[in-house]
Amino acid sequence: MPIVTALYLLYLTAPIALLAIGSVGESWTNSLLPSGLTAGWYGQLWSDASFRRAFTVSLTVCVATCAVTALIGVPLAYAIYGASRRGVRAAARVLFLLPVAAPPLVLGFGFILVFSSDSLPFLGSGWLLVSGHVVSTLPYLMQTLVADMRHLDLVTLETAAESLGAGFRQRLLGIVIPSLRQSLSSGLIMVAALSIGEFQLSNLIAGFLSRPYPVVLLQAFYGATGFACAGTMLLLLLAVLSALASASAGRGLPSRKGTPS
Amino acid sequence: MSVVVDSLAFRYPAAGAGLDGVSLDVAPGEFCAVIGPSGCGKSTLLKLIAGFLSPAAGQIRIAGTDMTGVPPRLRNLGIVFQNYALFPHMTALENVAYPLKLRGIGRAERLNRAGQALERTRLSGLADRHPRQLSGGQQQRVALARALVFAPGALLLDEPLSALDAAHRAAMRDEIRAVQREHGIATLHVTHDQEEALSIADKVAVMRDGALLQLASPQELYDRPADRFVAGFVGHANLFDATVCGPDLVETSIGPLACTTEGRPIGTAVTLLARPEAVRTDPPDGAVNRFTGTLVRDRFLGSLRRYDLAVPGGTILGETLSRGDIRSVQIPPDCLRILPA
Repeated sequence: MPIVTALYLLYLTAPIALLAIGSVGESWTNSLLPSGLTAGWYGQLWSDASFRRAFTVSLTVCVATCAVTALIGVPLAYAIYGASRRGVRAAARVLFLLPVAAPPLVLGFGFILVFSSDSLPFLGSGWLLVSGHVVSTLPYLMQTLVADMRHLDLVTLETAAESLGAGFRQRLLGIVIPSLRQSLSSGLIMVAALSIGEFQLSNLIAGFLSRPYPVVLLQAFYGATGFACAGTMLLLLLAVLSALASASAGRGLPSRKGTPS
Repeated sequence: MSVVVDSLAFRYPAAGAGLDGVSLDVAPGEFCAVIGPSGCGKSTLLKLIAGFLSPAAGQIRIAGTDMTGVPPRLRNLGIVFQNYALFPHMTALENVAYPLKLRGIGRAERLNRAGQALERTRLSGLADRHPRQLSGGQQQRVALARALVFAPGALLLDEPLSALDAAHRAAMRDEIRAVQREHGIATLHVTHDQEEALSIADKVAVMRDGALLQLASPQELYDRPADRFVAGFVGHANLFDATVCGPDLVETSIGPLACTTEGRPIGTAVTLLARPEAVRTDPPDGAVNRFTGTLVRDRFLGSLRRYDLAVPGGTILGETLSRGDIRSVQIPPDCLRILPA
């Protein structure tokens, strides 16, 4: 068993290690490992205008996606949590499974069909990219929020607040949002990580000037290997940072399950 | 301030369960427990008083004011919930200060008053802890302090002890009663635990299927239950189907029993109640209502011993301090109570 685990870990980390090595290797053609050592690829990446623009696009889309998912996600999750009707719960379950069940490719083709028409000519616009990211990441945020609402027994907390004299606004701002802040922030960082790494959908619907980072990165692999490796390392760094932030923001979540009685 | 419930009716749309014309009143400083099996409507009654449900008919008056149409937040009631419902993102002190904050009391004063409330429940040392860092009993005390800190008109307790283990429950019971006395507040306590209700309350309401069966002091409820259900629900009981067959004589499945029939005509179907502690062991030969049988169950409970004696036609449940063998028992006629069939 330990051997299998070790092999699996090697299988997981080997490509990353190779990318890291490749990003500082001077030349890498038809050999197992590159030769020479250089930081030049990172410098070239920094000075490449299309990469810098893609990086900015990615960050902008990411922030906008987070804002929109939060604005839609909190009330929607609250409605699903509070719904007692069977139909609503079933619909919510379908919604939660959507990003797993429907590949981004399907969503992308749908977007192309609908938004390349004369009546809705939005294909290629930044806002369409954001809404694509919202559609594919929203279920993840909702799932986190609804699970936390159930875990907290939010209805009882609100009932208690109401009995103590709190009106709707006071309950929303004083009880609901603050008690959800951990799951909201960990959910949003997950959304951010997904949005930054999103390739399939973005590749299909992004306009030439609003291409996010992963899409531009693919082009790099047709050129110098070291440059492409450096670009990938940057994306990896962003993803790891998001994952770490998400993990630390959600740190309080599981510990609440072990409430002493 | 008092709580008066007058002919209150309510029906859940789907289940068909609800309340049918329940009336009861809790005087200022009085502690009233509401008991009954699950689904009897006791929690519905509490929700109606709190305002989380609206009655189909009837009236609720708190401190003499009709509460029809008044939203829960304006009813000024302190409620302790079954799972305490403490706000997880606030410390114990902030939880207790929250209702004062809602009432627009300045930060310094509300923290001061919340601190005093925590002190009264012996929690001052834990003021800065979050609910998840407190034990069940401590959370319970925070919830009680929070429900009382704003001097509410009445206190509603919704099964507040059910989440505690047996050892803490008895202690917390006394503590709740002490705090309630100190505040002199009308209190309605909903529970499914009849022992808890008898030990804590000034008066007890027994409910079943949405109706109030009896509202009486714990002693009266135990000694003079209104009907067979109340007799069986409150405490242990021998209940026999019986028919009046003569002056002060009834016929049961275990044979004829002498008891006061209170002038009921011959042939009337009744229920006979005998509390187990009234059953006497090893009576002299020839004593009235004497039964001989075999011991089928024998439970030693420390301070007493509860046994089942199988006699021809039935079983007699008894309690005794004796540790000897039991072959015969007597049910003294004055300990038998006649109830409607």
